[in-house]
Amino acid sequence: MEQTATQDIPPSKRPLPVPHSNRDYDFFYQGLEAGKLLVQKCDGCGTVRNPPGPMCPHCHSLKWTPIECRGTGTVYSYTVHYHPPLPNFDSPHAIVLADMSEGFRLIGGLQGARPEDIRIGMPLVVGFERRGEVSTFHFRLA
Amino acid sequence: MGYTVRDKAAIVGLGTTEFSKDSGRSEMQLAVESVLAALADAGIEPGEVDGLCTYMMDNSSEIDVFRNIGGRNLKVFSRISYGGGGACAPVQQAMMAVATGVAEVVVCYRAMNERSGMRFGQPMVRSSPESEMMLKALHSLQGLQTAAAMMALPMRRYMHETGASAEDFANYSIVARRHAATNPNAFFYGKPITLDDYMNSRMIADPFRLLDCCQESDGAVAVVVTNAERARGLRQKPVYIRAAAQGAPVGTLLCTSYYKPDIVPREECQLVADQLYTMADLTPGDIDVAIIYDHFGPTVLPSLEGYGFCEPGEAKDFIKGGNIELGGSLPVNTHGGQLGEAYIHGMNGIAEGIRQLRGTAVNQVRGAEHVLVTAGTGVPTSGLILGL
Ligand SMILES: [Zn+2]
Repeated sequence: MEQTATQDIPPSKRPLPVPHSNRDYDFFYQGLEAGKLLVQKCDGCGTVRNPPGPMCPHCHSLKWTPIECRGTGTVYSYTVHYHPPLPNFDSPHAIVLADMSEGFRLIGGLQGARPEDIRIGMPLVVGFERRGEVSTFHFRLA
Repeated sequence: MGYTVRDKAAIVGLGTTEFSKDSGRSEMQLAVESVLAALADAGIEPGEVDGLCTYMMDNSSEIDVFRNIGGRNLKVFSRISYGGGGACAPVQQAMMAVATGVAEVVVCYRAMNERSGMRFGQPMVRSSPESEMMLKALHSLQGLQTAAAMMALPMRRYMHETGASAEDFANYSIVARRHAATNPNAFFYGKPITLDDYMNSRMIADPFRLLDCCQESDGAVAVVVTNAERARGLRQKPVYIRAAAQGAPVGTLLCTSYYKPDIVPREECQLVADQLYTMADLTPGDIDVAIIYDHFGPTVLPSLEGYGFCEPGEAKDFIKGGNIELGGSLPVNTHGGQLGEAYIHGMNGIAEGIRQLRGTAVNQVRGAEHVLVTAGTGVPTSGLILGL
């Protein structure tokens, strides 16, 4: 992921690097390309799981379906990154660990909130964006 | 079946380089200097080494170290994963190897130019095809890219659940820096801090301030492990390995154990603690000194709880009560920890445990007989109980 073509752009303004994926994670990025937040649901026992993986740890089924999420959740925990400067992001940059409505956890950047206003338990909503060559998502306070 | 390894292995040699911000030499040179120093300390010839163990992110490979020290036949070589969580695990590997007779002289080492070379605190965006890197990349795309930010999330949750405050986190940093202030080998020798210093230090990743974060250091530590019979005839007083264990409850990931019900970095400590106390036939009350891994000072609080020194949520009061200071009921990180002495990825904590039992620590706890040493938390981890 060398970024020689973007050397003249400040680190925080560079487009995101191309996602690093494999056959277990491809569906997630394909969903973002289509403007959808997808999560794995087991065909055997119906359990929703994240992070992605080929096998259901409950029933050991290898069959699963990507389902589209409502894009709602609450703040389970959070941080605000200040230092050092991040490639592709401004500082401070808030990040939340969300409890999603479908019953799984998801890490996402939080946009449009002042750091001092973030609290555990606050409702969240997902938004989509395109940054350079990459389709991605973020959270906002609902 | 019970454990059969208690006191079957001992640490008989300790070697360190100086700890600095720029060693001025290669990591391989640091590695072999510390290994030779440890062997000289033990009175064992380099040609007798038949095992070498280290852990992830050590750039000096086992076989290259072996070639440089003039080794002959290497029979045990292993490298533990999961960053600082592996800090105590090479000693476990060595213990198992010498207790079973698979090897006789195993050296565990850690050498790094972590300040003048590749710094662990920088954003991590490059990736390899390893399975864990897929999740790391997914987090990275959301701007979660540094170890501090990754560990800040579980510690913010810890504050929410226990009521621990910034002042409570400050209390640990102040103690660590006070212990470092009287340790001439510490980077912060003669430099204690106040609560004001802490509160005025800049935010790194909320709730972590600069004075919560361990240092970036250059240096190396090596220890020599052999079987108990041989240990008794050597130059140094043997430091016996009462117990050694690894632990990763399901859902424990590399600094991002976010997908299990309880994300506080405590469950992995409990899993290691349960094994250690059973293996050693000891209780938390028997521990005289605790070396608790402090990549980020606040994580010492759930570690104290996980290792059974207080109940969940009570570590803030345990620390406030002076228990972890010299003269307290459980002196912690008497060398100044990785906040105060140096960050040799936990291995300098093992060195301090050995010195406490030999009676040669600068901040010596008189009559110390049992020392607990822990490794990184919020990752698959490891721990030791060392004793006389
Ligand atoms: Zn299933």
